[in-house]
Amino acid sequence: MAAIRNSLSPWHFAGLMARPSKACDRLAGPAPEVHDVILRVVLPLSIVPPVLAYVGGATFGWRLGGGEPLYIPADGLVLISLAYFVALVTGFVSTALVASWMAGTYGARREFGAHLAFVALVGMPAIVASLAHLAPHAFVNMLLLIPALIWSLYLLYRCLPAALGTSPERGMLMASSLVAYVLVAFVSLLGITVVLWSGGIGPALGV
Amino acid sequence: MAAGERYHDRVAGWLTGFAVLWSLLGMTAGVYIAAELVWPTIDFGQEWLSYGRLRNLHTNAVIFGFGVSALMATAFYSVQRTCHAPLFAPGLAWFVAIAWQAGVLAGGVSLLAGWNGGKEYAELEWPFDIAIAVVWVCFAVVFFGTIARRRIQPIYVSNWFYGALIIVIAMLHIVNSLAIPVTWSKSYSLFAGAQDAVVQWWYGHNAVGFLLTGGFLGMLYYFLPKHADRPIWSYRLSIVAFWAFTYSYIWAGPHHLHYNAVPEWVQSLGMVMSLVLLAPSWATMVNGVMTVAGAWEKLRTDPALKFIVLSLAFYGLATFEGPMMSIKSVNVVSHFTDWTVGHVHSGALGWNALITFGTFYFLVPRLVGAELYSTRLANWHFWLALAGVMLYVLAMWGAGVSQGLLWLSLDEIGELSFSFKDIMASMAPYYALRLVAGVVFLSGAALMAINLWMTVQGRAVVRVAPPPVAEGAV
Amino acid sequence: MNAVDLHRRLERNSGWLIFGILFVSAIGGLVQVLPSVLDDSLATPAADAKPYGPVELTGRDIYIRESCGVCHSQQVRPLLAEVRRYGPFSKAGEFAFDRPFLWGSKRTGPDLHRIGGRYSDVWHRLHLLDPRAVVPDSIMPAYPWLGERAADAEGAIQAKMRALRRLGHPYTDAEIDAAPAALEGLTEVDALVAYLQGLGTPGGDAR
Repeated sequence: MAAIRNSLSPWHFAGLMARPSKACDRLAGPAPEVHDVILRVVLPLSIVPPVLAYVGGATFGWRLGGGEPLYIPADGLVLISLAYFVALVTGFVSTALVASWMAGTYGARREFGAHLAFVALVGMPAIVASLAHLAPHAFVNMLLLIPALIWSLYLLYRCLPAALGTSPERGMLMASSLVAYVLVAFVSLLGITVVLWSGGIGPALGV
Repeated sequence: MAAGERYHDRVAGWLTGFAVLWSLLGMTAGVYIAAELVWPTIDFGQEWLSYGRLRNLHTNAVIFGFGVSALMATAFYSVQRTCHAPLFAPGLAWFVAIAWQAGVLAGGVSLLAGWNGGKEYAELEWPFDIAIAVVWVCFAVVFFGTIARRRIQPIYVSNWFYGALIIVIAMLHIVNSLAIPVTWSKSYSLFAGAQDAVVQWWYGHNAVGFLLTGGFLGMLYYFLPKHADRPIWSYRLSIVAFWAFTYSYIWAGPHHLHYNAVPEWVQSLGMVMSLVLLAPSWATMVNGVMTVAGAWEKLRTDPALKFIVLSLAFYGLATFEGPMMSIKSVNVVSHFTDWTVGHVHSGALGWNALITFGTFYFLVPRLVGAELYSTRLANWHFWLALAGVMLYVLAMWGAGVSQGLLWLSLDEIGELSFSFKDIMASMAPYYALRLVAGVVFLSGAALMAINLWMTVQGRAVVRVAPPPVAEGAV
Repeated sequence: MNAVDLHRRLERNSGWLIFGILFVSAIGGLVQVLPSVLDDSLATPAADAKPYGPVELTGRDIYIRESCGVCHSQQVRPLLAEVRRYGPFSKAGEFAFDRPFLWGSKRTGPDLHRIGGRYSDVWHRLHLLDPRAVVPDSIMPAYPWLGERAADAEGAIQAKMRALRRLGHPYTDAEIDAAPAALEGLTEVDALVAYLQGLGTPGGDAR
């Protein structure tokens, strides 16, 4: 059984995502180095959706709903893509941090590298689904992201015990706690975005 | 202790059964109105199938039918065990159980017939308001009567929450329902306009607070330690959280009225106290999470525990999202949108329904002294519930944020970017997704109903005696 | 006596516990809700506000019966975009005769506080009886029964006006005597249209 530390690349993770039992095995091995995971997996993965969003937005304009597509000026689009990238990296790293913080409570392994690799695997389906950003219509994106998120949830519950070295029961608890963290983090992101909008940053709102 | 004394569990069993029926009925009504937002003509020109009538049936059936019946069932079950005493006035307890079902049923029919007080979550007209108050007082008599005859000294923490539910809901219901009757089906509120709004959201928000949050926390504090077979993680934290919760929740109502025609200080105070509320809410979540964390091995034998675990995750989400949406600069975008609907459902489906399902899977087999009919079905239910609530919340986040943004968008010359009609039409896909989510969640609940029915079928409620009074107690 | 001892006493006495809960939960209401209920400025009608006439009142009660308020708000917030879209923002004095208030919490359809006079009576009538006849994408329910029923089939209009007079709405005896005649021959849809056309007029002209 090859350990994940020897094969860190976005392509490899994309392959693992489709084969959960193999992925669980791989992640169960010795933990990869933190900087290796960040440089070779987390950063490359986090670049993908913002770039796709930029291309889609610049080419077709965003359609949130009715009427004309919303063309955001090029510099605004760069800013949004950049913020998106930062949000993704923060999302991966913070979730891994929260997971390693919880590790003691749920009797899981402590190496941060292992947590980071696991979180990257769980996030992988959403990264692949971000291909939908090329067709920048809110609903098309949701249609693709939803099965991806369900797959992510499946990977989370399925692989956590093996990848983080705890019993299936405690893995179930830890996975649910991580769901809570991710939901709260996501809704915070929504909240922050909306506060920025109503503060005059981003689209022009009449508030 | 009188010889041959037994707990009165049959009444709790029947209430549980009614709660399951209401959950199916109420959620079916919810799915139907979700479908009406996709295909508006499926009311076939019938008044009673019309969106406005069915939506009131939906909210009343799930909150007062499903929610309150479940709370009554678990309150009656747990108060006896935490007091080591049978129910005070068991006849009255039966009256409460039956009269409540009759009231919600007749009330539901009256809502379909168009009787409507016009206040959200308090739609039932004055004859029902009076009936509710009477039954509620009887509920209080049974509950506090049982506590008064308890045989162990400290009143256990679950009973504080059930107690707060009974007392505060009585106060809110009576004040908010004050009205002058005109006919059997029509009355006019004692309060008007802006004042009526302040009173209504004091009621509306705290019905969520003390019924859907506090009442169900009572359920959590009794049944979670029972599942886990160990005491609550921190008793002291539960004390602090309880009083902070009881004190601060009641102030938060005006966050439903941001930028509305009520005084600025009322809005700001409502916002600040909503933010404060996060602390006791999350303290309780931590207490729950840490209690299960130490009892993980129970997950092997207890198919119900994972519902409770997941309900805590959604409790965490809903109690974080609520205060966040009460911040004025978030609310300005989220108010009047489907984001609110999503928030309500992350609480109602993710927290209330899941913890109740988990509790029923635990309670029902014990009531009849049998194993749960099928663990496999319960596991299926778990995944359907998780998928259903996730899809629901995501659909409403998408719809809500789009509405908020598009309604307020201005173009370069300061004109509105989009017409209301176009924005409304663009919601169709989100509403379709929400319908799917509702169907998924409802089918999980239907599996539960089958599972529980097969468990109790042909069995009678076991008669349990209170434990003998220990030497030197009380 | 420290806080823990105090609590030990509360825990041991059901009477004190009940009192404690009632006291602690009542504070917020007393400090926040009671002053609002006693604040006359919130209940003083705007200068040009007058109580609903018999036809409008009947229409309003139909609006309540059909729960129009679960999809339509009646509250224009003081925001630039909202004033653009709907008209002058809502003020407390405009609602002094609203029992109950109908501000709503959700806009599945548009806000209606300034709807008065925006469309013709004929348009409203068509729209209420069959919304898709005038707005093809509408998801509003159709209300065909409103066109078939007499507005005051119950014969309760005088009782309604007397009840409201007891609550301080300044109806004269003559107005109450004349009420049934005003409703003579009208259907429910006529009354509802009259109510909608009267909405928002006290706060300023929204046309």
